[in-house]
Parts: sequence; structure tokens; C-alpha cells
Amino acid sequence: MERKGFTLWFTGLSGAGKTTLARLVEGELKARGHKVEVLDGDVIRTNLSKGLGFSKEDRDTNIRRIGFVCDLLTRNEVVAIAAAISPYRAVREEVRRQIGSFVEVYVECPIDVLSDRDVKGLYKKALAGEIRNFTGVDDPYEPPASPEVTVHTDSETPEQSAARIISRLEELGLVAASQTEGYSEEDEEEVRRRLEALGYV
Amino acid sequence: MGLFDKFKSRPPASQEAPRKEEVTKAANRRAVLVGLDGTPCTLVRRFIEDGTMPNFRRLAERGSLLQMDTAIPDISSVAWTSFMTGANPGRHGIYGFLDLQPNSYKIYFPNSRHIQSETLWDAVGRAGRRSTVINVPSTYPAKPLNGVLVSGFVAVDLNKATYPPELVPRLREMDYRIDVDARKVQESHDALMDEILTTLDRRVKMLLEQYDAGRWDLFIGVVTETDRLQHFFMDAIENPGHKYHSAFREFYGRVDNFLGAIAERLRGETFMIMSDHGFTGIRQQVYLNRWLMDNGYLRLKDNARSVEDIDGGSRAFAMDPGRIYLNYKGRYPGGTVDKADAPALLGEIKRGLSEITAEGTPIIKRIYDRDELFNGPCLGFAPDLCVQPVYGYDLKGAVNKRELMDREVFTGMHTQDDATLYISAEAGPLRSGKPHITDIAPSLLDSMGLPVPQSMDGRSMLSRA
Repeated sequence: MERKGFTLWFTGLSGAGKTTLARLVEGELKARGHKVEVLDGDVIRTNLSKGLGFSKEDRDTNIRRIGFVCDLLTRNEVVAIAAAISPYRAVREEVRRQIGSFVEVYVECPIDVLSDRDVKGLYKKALAGEIRNFTGVDDPYEPPASPEVTVHTDSETPEQSAARIISRLEELGLVAASQTEGYSEEDEEEVRRRLEALGYV
Repeated sequence: MGLFDKFKSRPPASQEAPRKEEVTKAANRRAVLVGLDGTPCTLVRRFIEDGTMPNFRRLAERGSLLQMDTAIPDISSVAWTSFMTGANPGRHGIYGFLDLQPNSYKIYFPNSRHIQSETLWDAVGRAGRRSTVINVPSTYPAKPLNGVLVSGFVAVDLNKATYPPELVPRLREMDYRIDVDARKVQESHDALMDEILTTLDRRVKMLLEQYDAGRWDLFIGVVTETDRLQHFFMDAIENPGHKYHSAFREFYGRVDNFLGAIAERLRGETFMIMSDHGFTGIRQQVYLNRWLMDNGYLRLKDNARSVEDIDGGSRAFAMDPGRIYLNYKGRYPGGTVDKADAPALLGEIKRGLSEITAEGTPIIKRIYDRDELFNGPCLGFAPDLCVQPVYGYDLKGAVNKRELMDREVFTGMHTQDDATLYISAEAGPLRSGKPHITDIAPSLLDSMGLPVPQSMDGRSMLSRA
């Protein structure tokens, strides 16, 4: 199968697991022979979007920049994986239209679970008022209306979520399924021979 | 009582969440399980007595060694899937090493993608804890998990058998073997014994390396060579004058060394040892399809190789080991049997099979109806009858046999009621009752302080008293 480029866009609150899932999916797609690049929101803000703040305008600019790079990569048969909070629906839709081959993954996790987990210690600070414009606390988050995949990271393991994303990509015909299906025809012949050797066939 | 009744009568205690103080106490508990494919409990007891397995003796002195029932059909694919899901085949969907595709007579080989129930390590992963799972049969292709998994029998390609893929180069470097090549027996029994010992050595080396790599809360390592040895050398252990008698015992001595190596690494973990079925010597192989043909229930095309070559007018067929399927209209393309006629037909087949004798005694111990054994969403694919033979009569699904019974190269066959379960004292007191293979997953989760999913039919062996 020809390896097509596409953009896999993870959106969700801070700490929901976007980067973890992006890395798991990256590993699986590379193992299947795809060229993959991950654009991580936290990393992008230290270079490509350095200096941008957290106003709605700056957030939208940040997303448009990530979207621009994803578009370039997608056009060149690369799987571009974006992992950014991307809280505003309108700019995500704008990026979707621009790129075309766009798969949105909503990484859903209830805010009380996130503030309990608080891996980066940010929720505590946001709730104490030490950080302003924190998505989900004092800044809005607009969930996608119809994402291609929704994963629930409070009740699934990262591996289960990643597997669901991969199988959706298979369904969409963006990723070849054959590598992960059970037995190929040659495999089946070998399985038959081994079972015969033990008297099971 | 049908085997399934034990699931229906599960007391509510095992479904309750552990009390809070228990959770806290058990929260950091780890567990280790070693699987010995096909090792009978009676053989373990004998080897403990006669000094072949001194490490197992020491373990048994401070823990419980129990005889265990396994799933029916008592073959590895069904048994290990029942182990890993804690569920009956009606729920997990695996009834054999081979099955027929829906509305067809075409054979397929069930693999991990066909398992319909959550596994033990899914439940462990959901709690944020890691599993290392090495060489459990029927886990191929390897599915992602929170941890490490290397599939066992019948895995073909190491790349697809390993998660995460980064582990593959190390396995290749170690010349790891997924399985014994049983075809070596065609060369000679010496060659096969050599193959079994070499595969065991490489297996043990890899299992210990993965154990020592740490980063797991649940370690599961399975040895397959025990089963392979017994398929071809079971006669050797019954006969002290047999050429391979001492080789058989030395093999188990090496297995015991491995158990000792695990035992000395334990740091307070709950330790369990299990087998997926027992073994006994073969007197005769019995071909149920021959019986169905001789009695007018089955017609096959000329030179048939499998049930794929079933001919028109057939009313029933058998699949390995003792699965009988009615050729239902609507379920199979050449179906002839109406649902309404099934009870009478099944009764007739059961009576006929019960009358088969060898050397003047019956060879069928019991015939189970589908609903006695299975319950769940995969019931529609279940066999209509499961035939359990008496020890010594190995039921087979072959179609190309002229006689009802004969002997081949195999000298050992599986048993359902003599599997092994050892649980170390760290698990605390155990409940009474003979364990069933589906009880192991709930027991492991319980010992780790984790909740038992509703999808598991088994009951924890740990006593809450």
C-alpha cells in the first residue's frame, strides 16, 4: 500500500495524555513503515511559537502555525501528528479545511480527574490563581463536534486508546491493516504445519 | 452439576471491591506467575516425592499445591485464553486451535484478534500498573499493553509477536525460539529431545532476563517445552527401562532449576505456578469423524483433508479434540438440520458415542451439552456437544482415517482434571474447593489489590475470611 500523508490532530485539556498518545501512535506508525513527525504544543511554544502568549489571538496564531507545518508535511507523504490543547473549535476547523487529510482525536478526560492527577503541577497553580488563562480553569475549551476518534483517558490505558486510534486509521484507509491482522496466507500454512506436527489438524 | 454452574453460583464476595485498608496494604503488591504447559499435578507430586524437583518441594512446603480443572475443550488455545481472560469460551470466543468461518466450512486459525474478552493484563494496565507477559499461547499477534509481551504458540513472526517492537533485536541476538519444532521427530527422537532441551534453555534465559529487567508489577512467564516433551515422550516416564526415562526426569530437573531461580529472586511477591491442562499416556487415538461417517451422520468428498471437504447430506461433524457440531440450516451453507430436530439428533449421537468401547470398556467419560459449558456473547459459535474421553483415549478431528482408533507417533494426551496450581503463602489463606483455570486471573488481581472485572467468570482463590 502506498503510504499517504495525513495529519493526526490531538486536542484536549492539559495533562489529558495528548503527548503520550502521540508518541505511542508515532511508534506504531513508524513500525508500519510510515514517515512520522510529532509537533508537540509544549515544544512548539519554545521555538516556532516562542513569544506567543495565551490570549485567544495568540492561541489561534499558534494553532495556525502548527497547522501550516502539518500541511507541508502531509503534502510530502509524512504523517504529521499535532499534540496541542487547541481549545478553539473554529481554528481547528480552519486547519482541517486547509489540510484536507485531517483526523481529529479528542482526548477526553474530566477536569476533576486531571486536577487530581496534575502531572505538571499546573492545575494547582491555576486553581490558586498563580497562572492565568489556563484552559479548563479560567479559559474556555470547546470540544470537537464530530471528531474522528474520541478517547477517554480516565478509563482506558494509553495502549488501549492508541490501539483504538490505529484501528480508526485503518478503517479510514490511511494505514494498512495487513501488518497487524492475525495470520497471512503464508502464516496460515505454517500454523497448519505446526499444528499437524502436534496432531491437532 | 455442569461445569458452568460454578460460575452461576459465584458468591457475591468476589465482586465486592476490596476494603480500603486492604487496598492500601495491597496497593504495591506484585505477583509472579510461571506457566508450565501441560504439566500434570500428579506428576509434580511424584517429582516432589522422588527428589526430581527439590525447588518445587521447598515452594510447596510453604504454599498450596492444588490439582486444578481446566477449560473444556482441554487444549492450550482454549485453556490459556480462559486463563488470561478469566472467562469461559462462550465469552472469550476461542473454542479450539481451528474453527470455521461464519456461514462457511472454511477453516481459520483463531488468534489474539479473535479474543472477545478483556485480558488480565488489560485490567492491570487500566490500574496504571505494568505487566511483563512472556510466551503465553494464543496472544499472537502481540497487542499493545502497559508493559512487555512476547507471544507464545502459535506465533509465526517474531516482529508481530513482540510488544514493544524495540525488544525484537535483543530476542534475535539471544536466538530466542518461540516454539519447539515438533517436526524434528521425523528426523529422530534424539533430534526432537535435543530441540526440546535447547528451546527450554533459551526460553529460561530470556524469561530470567525479562524478570531481571524489572519494571513490572505482574510477571507471567510460560514454559511450553513441558507439553512438547509429553506429547512425544509420555511413555518414557511410565517405564523406568525406557530409553528416555532419565532424560525426561533430567528435563524436569532443569524446569525445577528455573523455578528455583525465580524463587530466589522473589521479594515478597505472590508466586503462582500453573499448568493449562494435565497429561496422561495414550492407549488409542479416536477419530470422531470416522464414527460419524460409519453411523451415517457425516459424508465427505473423496480424498478429504479436513471438514472443509464435507459433502451434501451431512448432519454432524467433529473438530479437534472432541467438539461435535450439528450441520444446521442457516448456520452452514450445506446445512441439513432444523433447529426443531436438534434435541432428538443430539440425544441419538450422545447415546451412540457413549456405547463406543475398547477392550470391553467404554472410552467416553462424559458428553456435555453446549449450555452446560458455555455462556456469553460467543455462544453462537460454540460446539453443540463436547466429548470428554476416559484417560488413554485421545479424541481427534482428523477425517482421513479408515479405522475408528489407531496409534501415531504421539504417546501423551491432555487431561482436563489434573492441571496444576501452586499459590505461595504470600497470598494468605485460600478458600476451599477445587480451583478452575478461570480462577487464576481473579486470584492474581486480588493478590495485587486490584478489582476483578465483571467479565471474569472465575472466582479468586484468596480467602477473605
